[in-house]
Amino acid sequence: MTTTALPTVPDEYRAAAAARVRHTLGRVLGVLARSVAIFVPVFLVATFVTFALRSLSGLSPARIQLGEDATPEAIQRIEAQWGLDRPFLAQYGDWITGVLHGELGTSWVNGADISTLIGLGLGVSLSIATFALLIGVVAGFALGTLAALRPTTPIDRAITGVVTVISVMPPFVVGIVLVAVLAVGLDLFPSAGYVPAEEGIGPWLAHITLPALALSCDVVADVARQLRTGLVAARDENYVTGAVVRGLSPRRIFLGHVLRNGIGPALATLGLKFPALVGASVVTEWIFGLQGFGRFANDSAQAGDVPAVQGVLVVSIALVVSFNLIVNLVLARVTPASQRGM
Amino acid sequence: MTPRSPSSAPERTPAAAAAPTAPPKVPPVLSVRDVRIGDRAGHREVVHGVSFGLTPGKAVGVVGESGSGKTLTCRAVLGILPRHFEITGGSVEIAGTDITTLTPSRWTELRGATISAVFQDPASYLNPSIRVGAQIAEVLRVKTGLKRRQARHRAVELLRAVRLRDPALVYGQYPHELSGGMLQRVLIATAVAAGPRVLIADEATTALDVTVQAEILDLLDELREESGLALVVVSHDLAVVAQICDEVLVMRQGEVVEQGPAHEVLHHPRHPYTRLLVAEHEQYGLDRFLDPTEASS
Repeated sequence: MTTTALPTVPDEYRAAAAARVRHTLGRVLGVLARSVAIFVPVFLVATFVTFALRSLSGLSPARIQLGEDATPEAIQRIEAQWGLDRPFLAQYGDWITGVLHGELGTSWVNGADISTLIGLGLGVSLSIATFALLIGVVAGFALGTLAALRPTTPIDRAITGVVTVISVMPPFVVGIVLVAVLAVGLDLFPSAGYVPAEEGIGPWLAHITLPALALSCDVVADVARQLRTGLVAARDENYVTGAVVRGLSPRRIFLGHVLRNGIGPALATLGLKFPALVGASVVTEWIFGLQGFGRFANDSAQAGDVPAVQGVLVVSIALVVSFNLIVNLVLARVTPASQRGM
Repeated sequence: MTPRSPSSAPERTPAAAAAPTAPPKVPPVLSVRDVRIGDRAGHREVVHGVSFGLTPGKAVGVVGESGSGKTLTCRAVLGILPRHFEITGGSVEIAGTDITTLTPSRWTELRGATISAVFQDPASYLNPSIRVGAQIAEVLRVKTGLKRRQARHRAVELLRAVRLRDPALVYGQYPHELSGGMLQRVLIATAVAAGPRVLIADEATTALDVTVQAEILDLLDELREESGLALVVVSHDLAVVAQICDEVLVMRQGEVVEQGPAHEVLHHPRHPYTRLLVAEHEQYGLDRFLDPTEASS
């Protein structure tokens, strides 16, 4: 490529650009391949365990439909209707094929299509979770950065204190306080219910703000703490001294060098927080009277509706896995050195 | 210790003698006068007066064991003393400007453009998340106002100038993908990108194996001859300093125990510590095993 004697400058430039593009492409593909190699087995194992749930729990649609005093023959007939008398692996095969096509089966309780039911709840829950993540990222980054820029000052101490307090407050407590103060007391937000975004962005935001705030506390706290620690550690690194000696301005050093390298743990935390958000939504949706994904999961579990619970789990797994995949790709882009040995 | 031990120094001495360091006609680009550094926390002085002047194209060497105050002196000159340390006496002038008069923004302006530095462990002084070429280009854009594309060009040229094979490929690599010797070359390219007049090389070759060390020293020497760069070479290894410096300072426990022209210090060391350093090279250097008669003479 450049081994020829005295390459002309445009050639050189093109060669450099080509090498860079190849390099970047190779790197991105490498990360993607590694991520897929990890996530596909994770998904398969997780769905397998999920599907084994029915056999393990011993629950049967016959119990729900026929009640406690059904004859064994009747139970057998119902189970045969649902295909439960077939070998386990054959059942799993059919189910996973359906899952991959977006069909999660029908509910034992009311025969409704589970994909549709989950789809309805997911809109609510994802709106709230995304908004909560957004609040968490923005507030967490602001607080973490501010604390890291003024380490060991009263500002830093105050932020650390506030962050510690909000990190130990469970979402349902925060939720109740928010409803009492902002909805009932000050009448700023509706206290419960949900309006889809299609019926107006304003009302939609108003309805999801309180639950999102309640859910975001934990994210704000963790992101702020991880970012502060990451930034403070990165500031003392030699490459910062290197950048100073090269005569770069403090602003540029902070944004381009410190932030870039200190952000890793905070991003990784976000990847961990997402499952927690999905989990916490069960309680939050009760408080705010929302018919979301968490509520659906809870109701299905209470009713012993195994296909619905399996559907909920599959969707959760898919959400968590894809969210982590995104976080991993972003991490690989921001801090390439972190991908060594993965 | 290295193949380029004092026995190779005599080859250089005629050149050094022909260009006496004594009264420089050109104004010094760096002048350090009786600099003292104190530890604010412990209320004690750790460097007890270092003085030297440096004109374009010259090289001054600072030798001494670890903890002798070499690095602190360098950091004082660059204005990057660690927390709790401060200059308690003397003065440093960079291109005629007393550093005590510098504001933070003036410092930012001066660093990179007038004075720059390379250090030991080059991998840690480069941002691990940014391609090495982009780090050079960043310096070029910020310090010399080049446009993105021009900066990229110039960065590849610089990588070639520090004799990296396939500079276009190296441009797009991350620090963890390069070897120590390559990284030190990259770090040097980054340091000289904005055309500084003084380059401080603080143990720049210490972590490298001897052949790479010799190549890096040659490279620094070449930069000095071609662009009139003034060098401050800091090392615990007398051989490194002997190879390229005109003037040598020997430091021990914060004190300059001997100072003078390189060949003078090497061949007629006055202070016992300098004698010890030279003797150790003769005793443990490889030359002794290769050619015992010459080394003992």
